[in-house]
Amino acid sequence: MELTGDLWGLLETSGHPLTQPRMATPRPADSPAGAGFIDTHGTTVITVKYNQGVVNVGDRRATASFSVMYDKAEKVLPLDDYTLLAISGSFAKAMEVVRFLRTSFKLYERVYLQPMSLDGKLAELAKVIRAGIPEVLQGIGGFIPILSTFDRELDEGRIFFYDGMGARFESADYGAAGSGSMQIRGIFDYIAKTKKPFHEMTREEALLEALYLLDIAADLDAATGGWHKVLPLAKTISANGIEDVSEEELRELVERIDKSIGERKLPRSRA
Amino acid sequence: MYTPFERDEAFGYRKDSVESRLREGSPVVGVSTQEGIYLLTVCRGQRKIYEIYDRQMFSAIGMQGDIEEVRVSTIQMAHQEGFERSPDDVTLQRLIGFALSRRLKQAFGDLWSSAPFVIRALFAELGRTPAQDSFYALNYDGEFRASNGVAVVAGTALAEDKMLERFGESSPALSREEALKRALSAWVAGAQEAFRAGSRSEEVREAEESEEADRIFLYDELKTGHIEVGFLERNTQRESRFRLLTPADIAFLRA
Repeated sequence: MELTGDLWGLLETSGHPLTQPRMATPRPADSPAGAGFIDTHGTTVITVKYNQGVVNVGDRRATASFSVMYDKAEKVLPLDDYTLLAISGSFAKAMEVVRFLRTSFKLYERVYLQPMSLDGKLAELAKVIRAGIPEVLQGIGGFIPILSTFDRELDEGRIFFYDGMGARFESADYGAAGSGSMQIRGIFDYIAKTKKPFHEMTREEALLEALYLLDIAADLDAATGGWHKVLPLAKTISANGIEDVSEEELRELVERIDKSIGERKLPRSRA
Repeated sequence: MYTPFERDEAFGYRKDSVESRLREGSPVVGVSTQEGIYLLTVCRGQRKIYEIYDRQMFSAIGMQGDIEEVRVSTIQMAHQEGFERSPDDVTLQRLIGFALSRRLKQAFGDLWSSAPFVIRALFAELGRTPAQDSFYALNYDGEFRASNGVAVVAGTALAEDKMLERFGESSPALSREEALKRALSAWVAGAQEAFRAGSRSEEVREAEESEEADRIFLYDELKTGHIEVGFLERNTQRESRFRLLTPADIAFLRA
């Protein structure tokens, strides 16, 4: 056995399907993508900076076509003590990728006795996305992640997002992915221009804005879950590492938002 | 081909050659307490205690190349298993009993084409409670021994006996200070015995034992070496349970 700290290499040697997706029989050219089989998808995740780091929020819903498969899905997952992956799209694939990355970072660090660099981690994620393209072309397994981390050298939060080919982009202030993300895309910009950039906000301000955005995504996207049945999930990363936003704090923020929306008198619709 | 007699003789030579190279190795002591598991040794430059997986760590005496090969291949197996199944399926019993032990035995027994591993390793595994903690001592010929509470590896069998005797009864209730002080004392007992095994008779060595002699021996060893302690923490929010204790954490050992 070759001695290495590269999990991808080990899985390639053993022929693991993550590294070598197996192709199904090609579908006729005129059938719609994914016809006959629909995998479970995560819906909306939002990542914004604040003055001490990064806030991640996500609804708890996972859907397959028009069915709600699960309403307690966790879509913001720790990769190590300072890195979170917010996932949208194919749930099965995303969970496997999270497990892969967690194991890959640990293997590397344990074998080589030094942590993988941030750039190395970002490249590792790009590699998995790219390897999944044959599946995506068959209509299944596509997923889009947002990776956020606290950069201890620069002493600031950082946000990276990807496209379906594995191209990586760094965002200066915010990111969103999933079915509800397109509908709210312009609002980030509006908030940053009319109030202040997210990275200048306090933790509470950023958290509140992110929850408002999630609420709007739930309004405008049929698949994104609201919070009246299950509270959303929120995590922060700062110099102290990853922390969960407590249920009490979330409940209090969500109630404040509900109250402020309820108080506004909306014009009565003409019957 | 070897005749059966020659074969035994050849194994004997192999054994003697490996044993003589292990004798000088700095012993390792493992202690399980309520707080977690400790591995303690004294290193001369090269780091000696390593994390294997979420709940496993290891240290060894022997040739660096062999130690490295056992270390990295165990880490690989653990991570591949942990990814393809679950971290819960990664256990020392499986890693050692079903993979490592066989590999070492094969290398030791293959008189024609492979050199034996020069290694004696101590693996530790953290359970949910101290009663579930376990140690595995793995020998160069693939033989291994599981134990609980306290475990040691050293250059000679007699040195290991002396270490266990010196450590005394183990208990999960031991504080960090108490556990590490006793572990260091056991290390001294084992190292003195093993390092001097070739030069003096057993009676002379025993006659020379005293607290003062221990102190001088340790003082001399720490001129060129340093105490290393690996710790697997039982209750933690951090991703990693393993860490090497800092010099400040173990300053009390040098006092």
